[in-house]
Amino acid sequence: MALLDIERLTVRYGAIQAVQDAGLSVAQGEIVTLLGANGAGKSSLLNACMGLVPLAGGEVHFDGHLISAERTEAIVRRGMTLTPEGRRVFPSLTVQENLEIGAAASRDLRQKSKMQREEMYALFPRLKERFQQLAGTLSGGEQQMLAIARSLMSEPRLLLLDEPSLGLAPNIVDQIFDIIASLRRRGVTILLVEQNAELALDVADRGYVLASGRVVLSGKPAELRSAGLERVYLGAA
Amino acid sequence: MEFFLQQFLNALALGGTYALLGLGLAVVFSVLGLINFAHGELMTLTGYGIFYALLFGVPYPLALIIGVVLATGAAILMERVAFRPVRNSSGTTMLLTSFAVSTILHILFQNLISARPKAIAVPNSLTGAVAIADMQIGVIQLLSILVTAVSLLALTLFLRRSLLGIAMRAAAEDFNVARLMGVNANLVISTAFGISGVLAGIAGILWLFQRGSVDPLMGFLPVLKAFIAVVLGGLGSLSGAVIGGFILGFIEVGLRAYLPDGVLAYRDAISLTLVILVLFFWPQGIVARREAVR
Amino acid sequence: MMKVTKILSVAATMLAVAPIAAQAEDTIKIGFVGAFTGALAPYDQPTLQGVQLAVDQINKAGGIDGKFKIELITRDMRSETAQSAVMTQEVIDQQVNVLLSPCDVDPSVAAGQIAQAAQIPTIAPCASTPTLPGIVGDYMFANYTADNLQATALAYFAQKQGYKNALILLSRDTPYTEKLPLYFAKAFENKGGKIAGTVEFKMGQQDFSAEVTKIKGISPAPDVIMTAAYEPDFPAFIKQLRSAGIKTPVLGSDGIDSPTTLGLGEVAEGVVFSNAGYPSEGSSLAKFNADFKAFFKQDPSAVYTATGYDVIKVIEAAIKADGDKLDGPSIRDAIDNLENVQVATGTITYKGMNRVPLRVVALNRIVNGQKTHVEDIVPNGADVPPAE
Repeated sequence: MALLDIERLTVRYGAIQAVQDAGLSVAQGEIVTLLGANGAGKSSLLNACMGLVPLAGGEVHFDGHLISAERTEAIVRRGMTLTPEGRRVFPSLTVQENLEIGAAASRDLRQKSKMQREEMYALFPRLKERFQQLAGTLSGGEQQMLAIARSLMSEPRLLLLDEPSLGLAPNIVDQIFDIIASLRRRGVTILLVEQNAELALDVADRGYVLASGRVVLSGKPAELRSAGLERVYLGAA
Repeated sequence: MEFFLQQFLNALALGGTYALLGLGLAVVFSVLGLINFAHGELMTLTGYGIFYALLFGVPYPLALIIGVVLATGAAILMERVAFRPVRNSSGTTMLLTSFAVSTILHILFQNLISARPKAIAVPNSLTGAVAIADMQIGVIQLLSILVTAVSLLALTLFLRRSLLGIAMRAAAEDFNVARLMGVNANLVISTAFGISGVLAGIAGILWLFQRGSVDPLMGFLPVLKAFIAVVLGGLGSLSGAVIGGFILGFIEVGLRAYLPDGVLAYRDAISLTLVILVLFFWPQGIVARREAVR
Repeated sequence: MMKVTKILSVAATMLAVAPIAAQAEDTIKIGFVGAFTGALAPYDQPTLQGVQLAVDQINKAGGIDGKFKIELITRDMRSETAQSAVMTQEVIDQQVNVLLSPCDVDPSVAAGQIAQAAQIPTIAPCASTPTLPGIVGDYMFANYTADNLQATALAYFAQKQGYKNALILLSRDTPYTEKLPLYFAKAFENKGGKIAGTVEFKMGQQDFSAEVTKIKGISPAPDVIMTAAYEPDFPAFIKQLRSAGIKTPVLGSDGIDSPTTLGLGEVAEGVVFSNAGYPSEGSSLAKFNADFKAFFKQDPSAVYTATGYDVIKVIEAAIKADGDKLDGPSIRDAIDNLENVQVATGTITYKGMNRVPLRVVALNRIVNGQKTHVEDIVPNGADVPPAE
């Protein structure tokens, strides 16, 4: 059984159909990428999984539980979380406070939070150097690292990553993808939304392509490449 | 110089009360995007709580605590009953809900308790004055300054040190992301209302000490002042609300002390003009939110 | 259509038990458009209680002059001036014979102007601005102790105490808080006193520190401070005044006649204020208070209960005087000529007063947290500053 199972998911904003009858699944230990042009409905799909936007139809199962009606914070406690697009760190909180909030879902708070934090500092040494700094004063790349580290604080089994490379310089993007690769080695399952299809397919085990809210293609990276990704992108745009 | 120092202390005492009130509004606004105009009624409830507690022979200090607890409970209940059902509606809906809550409470107070003020005796020990150098400062004013300072310090410690406090600051900046971290939205919002209730209760007691009575409309004017303080300081910013409260206090006392008699009648117009001027240069308020739109 | 309705209603009345139909003709309808909710409710709610008590007593005794049962029609104008006009129209449509207006000058003007056009005598039970009847016209009457009357009584007292310099504290927010101290100043100056200073406040400001600091700096120091401030301003003012170490005597007006003032403790000791009457033993006001308690099972919350009662007694006296005529002009003329009508607060005279009645002003002093009687004063008409 897949860790995450999405069936016939539909999201509407008023009259606008953002996602329509989309289905996908992510198995334990996989990195799955979700590709598509701007406005294809990728972020809406992730937000719907997390209960941040209401579903107009369909079901989301995580770890065998139906979670489509659950509150966001309850879903986080089940072991799935989202690192949102645009990083969205808490700018007037310090780096350390950002991380502490990341552990808000853990039951036995303080002690565990501290251990987790040390682990994150080991993973992201840059953050350790700046732990007292306000998150709003970090560079874009550092903020992205903080955003990912913050999500990992809740020890998710499945991490949804929304556009982690957006607006970052190429060398920083490489660093971010190195981190994604290292997360996989740590056993974190990842659903990655990316506009940079080439990079995403490099790290992913499988991929889906979304166009106008529908899943139009899926398969292994090689299959997707040979199916002519560009065509799909152009068609969607 | 003595006149100036005296008025400076006056402004500090008044500004402190405004700061507490503004902070109560800002705490809720920061997590919910709602200016709760029923905030003033929480002050009124504190008053009635104290009144009835004293009527039943409860010792004075305990009566004050009952008043604050009542306001806190009412604030949490208000959120649960009135605001939670409309939480995902537009800002206008929530605003109108808060007006409705305020009006319903007014009418309940007027018809179930009394339209006439209810007297609350203030201990004589609080009506005296302390001499500092050549100045006389009223015990109540001194108490206002002290209580404001302690409340601000306690709230700051809570927001800085406790996980719930950090979660509230996080929620204030980005509510959805805070939920993605597993922060319990209902808990954070209930806590925000609870804090606003405590602050309204404390400000209500300071207000009551000055006036010696509670009546159904007691909270109307203070909530208006608090609203001005919050806008002045920057909507959604907690430190802004405190700064706004003190600025308003200083503007009001300053104008009353130094305006020539002839134009004294216009001082509210002048003080609001000053507020508009501040907003003209800092349209987002003095402490603008980094993220203007949530 | 109108006729059909009338015939139908007459037929319906005839079908009903005959004696009731006969009685229905002998009723006088009194409309009360009052502020039973909102900012003015503290005045109009007690007034309504007094009115209800008087109506009940009169009806139990067989009605006015043993003939006219009173039917009271009330409407809440929610302390909004515009609603005052709307509600007045509503009660006029119900053919009231006399109208009672809300407890403040503005909504009373709104109500009075409509009633004036319909020639319905209107009495403001507790609006105290003396210019009110003049603004509206010859069908508008005041009932409550007028501001200038009260101010004159206070000025008499100040002069008798030997005070030379007075300071007045006023707020331009309402005619009451502004004009009453100004009337006092005029009456006091006419009696040879001096005004040492005028300090202004804003109603609801709570914080009087700036004003108190100013008063402290005035030289020569005033012998007395007079103000028409009331709750919540008065308690805040007097506390801050006393805690600044200023021991100057304070004179207040009827607005501070409330349990709050008595509950202020030490700071309010010795404050002298005027009001519409003191319930000395055996007085009509004491009897009213006892009746009130028997009827409502509670003590009167304010003197407005008694003045509300007075209005109905005035109407009763007017109808007795005009030979049981219920038309507007007759009642109007009758009220205008009333002299020494016995009411709850004492006696009341309209004759020769331009519809602003002459009544007793009682002076009270707070001693040990209790209201004590100083004296009753009926000012000499010549000393009363003209209404403005």
